[in-house]
This record gives sequence, structure tokens and C-alpha cells, in this order.
Amino acid sequence: MRPTIFHVDMDAFFVSVEELDDPSLCGKAVVVGGRGPERGVVSAASYEARRFGVHSAMPLRTAYKLCPHAIFLPGHPERYREASGRVRTVLEAFSPVVEMASIDEAYLDMTGCLRLFGPPLAAAHKLHQRMKQEAGLNCSIGVATSRLVAKVTSDQAKPNGILWVLPGQEAAFLAPLDVRKIPGVGKVTARELYAMGVRRVGDLAALDEPFLASRFGKWGVALAGKARGVDAGGWFDAPIGADAGPKSISHETTFGEDTADHEQLEATLTRLCEMVGRRLRAHGLHARTLQLKLRYSDFTTLTRAHTLDHSSAVDVEMADAVVALFRANWNGSTVRLLGVAASGFNESSGQMALLDGGRAERWRQALEAADRLRDKYGGRAVGLARSLKTPIRERIHDAMPDAPPE
Amino acid sequence: MEFTVQKADLVRELGLSQGVVEKKTTIPILSNVLLEASGDRLSLTATDLELGIRCSCPAKVKKEGSGTVPAKKLLDYVRLLPDGELTLKFLDNHWASITCGRSRTKMAGMSRESFPELPPMPEATAELPAPLLASMITKTIFAISAEESRFTLNGALLVIREDEGAAPVSVMVSTDGHRLAYIEHTGEVPPPKEAVRVLIPRKCMAELVRLAQEAGPESRVNLAGDDNHLFFQIGARLLITRRLAGNFPDFERVLPRDNTQVATLDREDIKAAVERVAQFADERSRAIRILFSANEVKVFTSSTDTGESEELVPSTYSGPDIDIGFNAAYLIDFLRAVSQDQVSFQLKDHKSAGELCPVGDPASFRYRYVVMPMRI
Repeated sequence: MRPTIFHVDMDAFFVSVEELDDPSLCGKAVVVGGRGPERGVVSAASYEARRFGVHSAMPLRTAYKLCPHAIFLPGHPERYREASGRVRTVLEAFSPVVEMASIDEAYLDMTGCLRLFGPPLAAAHKLHQRMKQEAGLNCSIGVATSRLVAKVTSDQAKPNGILWVLPGQEAAFLAPLDVRKIPGVGKVTARELYAMGVRRVGDLAALDEPFLASRFGKWGVALAGKARGVDAGGWFDAPIGADAGPKSISHETTFGEDTADHEQLEATLTRLCEMVGRRLRAHGLHARTLQLKLRYSDFTTLTRAHTLDHSSAVDVEMADAVVALFRANWNGSTVRLLGVAASGFNESSGQMALLDGGRAERWRQALEAADRLRDKYGGRAVGLARSLKTPIRERIHDAMPDAPPE
Repeated sequence: MEFTVQKADLVRELGLSQGVVEKKTTIPILSNVLLEASGDRLSLTATDLELGIRCSCPAKVKKEGSGTVPAKKLLDYVRLLPDGELTLKFLDNHWASITCGRSRTKMAGMSRESFPELPPMPEATAELPAPLLASMITKTIFAISAEESRFTLNGALLVIREDEGAAPVSVMVSTDGHRLAYIEHTGEVPPPKEAVRVLIPRKCMAELVRLAQEAGPESRVNLAGDDNHLFFQIGARLLITRRLAGNFPDFERVLPRDNTQVATLDREDIKAAVERVAQFADERSRAIRILFSANEVKVFTSSTDTGESEELVPSTYSGPDIDIGFNAAYLIDFLRAVSQDQVSFQLKDHKSAGELCPVGDPASFRYRYVVMPMRI
């Protein structure tokens, strides 16, 4: 039986969640990411704002120039996570094999579920309705025989649509699309392809594999497969849900105003570690490797990683390591952005400590209690004293390094 | 400067300096060995600014003086020369000319002016048999922390004290915060002039073992210290290390006192069992489980990624069942470091530190290895 894959992509997710909380926003140009023409980037834009050329990842100031009358909101990451949880609940009622690829999109393996829900289009329609009823959100659904084509299809279905690519029609469906629509083809590959005169996916499919392999290496072979609509290369090879957990958890922040105040910088790193730690604990994970990201005012960026001698989900332990990395690498110039990423996950915190007199264990219990307080009263209800000096806002990012770039 | 020396002598002494010479240094002179000829000896000095070594060998000195050449290059070359005598002469441009039989070589060197000065050794305060020191080091060095931020754990603590009316006691202890290796030895050491309590960095410990082995079973180590350095003299060789700053943690507190559940096992059996089962442990955590039950110990692991494995080892154990997790690598380190036929596991419960000891040590020599369990 050929697989039936759904790619469910929420429409203007952050904006839609804001609209749920404040219906007066509906139908207006809304930009999530900041309060106005300040530093930072657009996390999401409503379709009304997109009409003016605003799109996500665009600097807020550019967005403001394009669409000064838009309503600018700093965003509510907590609320987005809750909504994402509701989305997941709806999806899990349709298929046991659900993989959340990020906070607002998921792949469902619907192969074999069709006896329950009818033919693909009918099933997608039911899912679409159920999402609106239960989560109150619009989504677009791409239906295809592979993850890759499903993802491209949902993009073509936007907004609020359903599109089914009939089995056997994948290559024909992809052929007229720009090569940039293929997940994994970014600016650089696209530029190279354009230079070779390859603009449409059809052009790419016409090239033979050995040629692509000689030009792009292993990635070229994957590219050839992708052009024909087959799941090929890296992450797309894995079955859905094969590795449902995140591979890394990271938080980063751009300062409203660049700073070289080491107290403020270290407080910010500590705060970022707390945010990472909370998510680690929510996933029941412990991280072994911590990475610091540091961007100076002149945009030079460095990343430095440290591997602990044990896995940790304790904020202070992580903060100690990250602050040490920072001290060893910071050159004293003004800093624009800081980020902390945790990876190398274990499900068990594993090794107990010999010398700390039970300190780690007490931290574990204290943090559990703190997390419950934060669940109830919000992310900043409790925190480490040494993180108080930071002015940062939260921006979220569930990174899956192998996943295709957005 | 010009001298003639036996190839074998030069190769041996240069070999000892290799562990000290900095391999990847940004300061070129630290890759060099300082050669000084005077009287009837050639002395060789190498340092990485943390650790320094000075050794010497007999030489026929034609003209006294000194110079520096790359230590590794010199050793690699001299090793290839035929056995016998070779002559080394420094030229005006700091290059060294080496002649041996029909071989002629000129090696680029550097002025000795930029070579760091090593501090002079103060009067020795204590003395230890070299084989004893080497044995204490090999039984503790693996438990030293590799975590550079925990700098007080980047070495081992050496204590030599003389309690009133009792024989001198020497103790070496190392820990990485998860496990701790402890050696206590009574007697055989002459009373120290003053009590010793020093932190020896790991790199220095590794070199001490080499020097002790080279010096033979009868040799002794003289120990001295100034504010910033420790000095170890073994025969004509001197090892100097910068002291580790900070206080070693209060280890006495974590040595278990009430671990009453004792299992005695054949060392080879348990070592082989742990090594085999560890192949299927999670690669990151290295966690394995051990179930102690009546007369038998079960070593096992199961992981969804790699599979499962189980070994049964006979044991004298009569306590309640204890199912405890350990990092396999920690256990293997210890089981490889002991030579006795039997070892004992002394436990309290699955969440308290376990203690491992060799069985049959003389009362004057106590080796204790304390390991915190893993959560399972």
C-alpha cells in the first residue's frame, strides 16, 4: 500500500492564537515579534499584514516601514505552547503516528487510517473541521505519498485549504514550481541552480543524477530524488515519529540596546539557561552539551560548546557552564545577541554527585516546584536572583537541526 | 658549546622530556629543550610553564655553554643514528651541528636567552620510595576530574603526616565529584620534616610514574615546595610543577561509614562481566545495573537503541536485594587498577555511595574506591 502522509501546517499560528485571546484583532494587520519599530525580527504576521509585504524573519523596523498601521505585539510564547498542545491533541485523535516538526506544523502518517476516516480528502476535511472546532485555529493540509510532497502541498494549499496530490502525479505537481519550494533548497543552492539555468523543479528533475552528484555531492543525489517527489536525504528518510523528541533546545535573545555590561550579559545567559532548563524538564530530558551563541554589534557571531561530565537539567549547573564559556570567549565588545542551546540528551539525569551533599537533588526538587508555579502564574513568576538584571523577552525556537529550513 | 655523549644516554633523557614539552604551543621556545654542558655532564631542561623537567647524563664536555633545539625533532633524529657516541656543537647562529660517524646535520635552534628560567629547588621536606609513589598514583590518577572548571579536582591530594607515637601515614586521594579513589599507606616512609598536604596536577603525576619506573625499585623521591611550585627529585632528575590553587574538598566526609552489605567477587569475573555488558550501555551515560542478591550478582543493561545483555557472577552475599545503577567506565577503571584476585562491593542502598576494595591488602595499605550510583 502506498503511504498516505498529511502535512498539517497552522495558518499564521502566533497571530491566530493572539486573535483567540483578543477577537478584536481579527481581520486586522497584526505583527508578532515586538512592540513596534524596535530591534528584533517578525515572528509571525497576519495575512492582512502580509499583503503589505511583511513576512516572518523580517526585521521589525522594515515591517514597520511597510505597514506602520499594523498592530505590533510582543507575543506570548506560553500561550503558543498551550495552543500547540491542543493542536497535537486533535492530531493524535486522527493517527497514532504524529510528528510535530515544530510548534505549528506536524506530519501524520495516515496510511491505514483511511478505513476509519474515509478517503484522503474526506479525512483531511474532517481533520480541518475538527481543528477549527476544538483548537479554534485554521490550518492548511497537504496530502501526498511522501513527507516532502505533503510539505510542499500544504504550502500551496495556504491559507486555510486542503490539497491532495494524487499518487503518481507527484513529479507533475512539482514540475512547474520554483526550485526554492523544495525543502532544503535555500538561498545558496537556489543561486547555484539558477546559475545553471535550473529554475523550476521540472528542470531539476530532467538533470541526471550523476551530474547532480558531481556538482553537489551526496546532497545532489538527494536533490534528484526530491525533484521526483521522493523522500530522500537526511531527515526526510526517517519514518514519521521515528524520533519524536527534540534534538536540541535553544533560546536566544536580541538586546533592545547593545550592551557590554557584563552583569547584564551574565544575567541574560542565566535567564536563557532557566528557559532552556524548564523546557528540558518539561520534556523529561537532561542535556550533556551546552552551546553559547554570541553576536557582537558588528554582527560577528561565535558559537562555543561545552560538554559536561554528566547530564543536567539544573539551571544553575547549566548557567555555570555557559557563563564560564562566555567569560572565556567574550572580548569585551558590545553584544547584540546571546543564545543558549542544549543538546546531547539523556532521559535520566544519571550520575549522582558525591561531593555536593545532596545539593543537586535539592535543586531538582526546588526546580520542579518552581516549574509548577510558572505553569500557574507565568514564566517569570519565579527565577534565579542572578538572572534578575536581564531585560529580555522570550522568543521560542524548537530546533530540529535535521529538519528542512522553513 | 661542544660535547660528546652516548646516543643511548641522550635518547633516554630526551625521552623523559617529551611528556613535558608542549606539543601545540603558541610560544615556539616551549617546544625546545635546553641543553647545558658543564663539568662532565650534559643537562636537559624542558617546560610548558606548568610543568618542568631537568635531567642529565654523563658527557665529555669540550667547551661549556648552552643552547636550545626542538625537543621532538632532536629525539626523532638521534634515535635513528647508529649506537655509539655523537657530538653536538652550537654554532654562532644558535644552530646545532650534530656529527655521528658519517652523519652530519645542522639543526635550527633558538637562543637560550628566551628559555624560561626554572625555580631552584628548596630543601626537601619529605621523602617517599619511588615505587610507592608510582603505585599510589596509578591507583588514583583515573579518578581525577577532566572538567577544567573544577580546577581543585584537576589533581590528586598527597598527605604525609606523622601522628604522635605512630608510624608516618601517606595518603593520596583524587575525585571528579562522582567517584573518589583513596590510598592510605602506613610506615615505610621516613618521618617528614613537616607535614605535607599538597595538590599534584594530573600531568605531573603521569610524569612522576614514568620517572619512578625509569629510576628502578630502590630509588626514592625527595619532595619540596615553595609558594608556587612543587619539586620532586628522583636521583639526578628533577620534576617541577606549578601548584594547583584552591582547597581540595573535604573528602573524609564522603568516605562511607555504614556500608554493611558486602559482596565479595572474583575480580576477573566481575571485570569481564562489566566490560561485556557495558558494550550495550547507553553510549553517553555508560549506565549499567547490578542486582545484588543471595550468592549471586547480576550485571545487566537494556537499551532500546543497542539491545540488552546480562551476566551472572557468583558472589558471597547474604544481604537484601539491592538493584543499583553505576557508570560502567568508573567500575572498569578500578577493576583494571587492582591486581588482587578478589574485590568487595560494600553497599548501603541503591542511592548511597558504594565502596569497592581489593580483598587481601595488608593492613598497612588501604585502597578504597567510592562511587556514587546512577539513577535508574
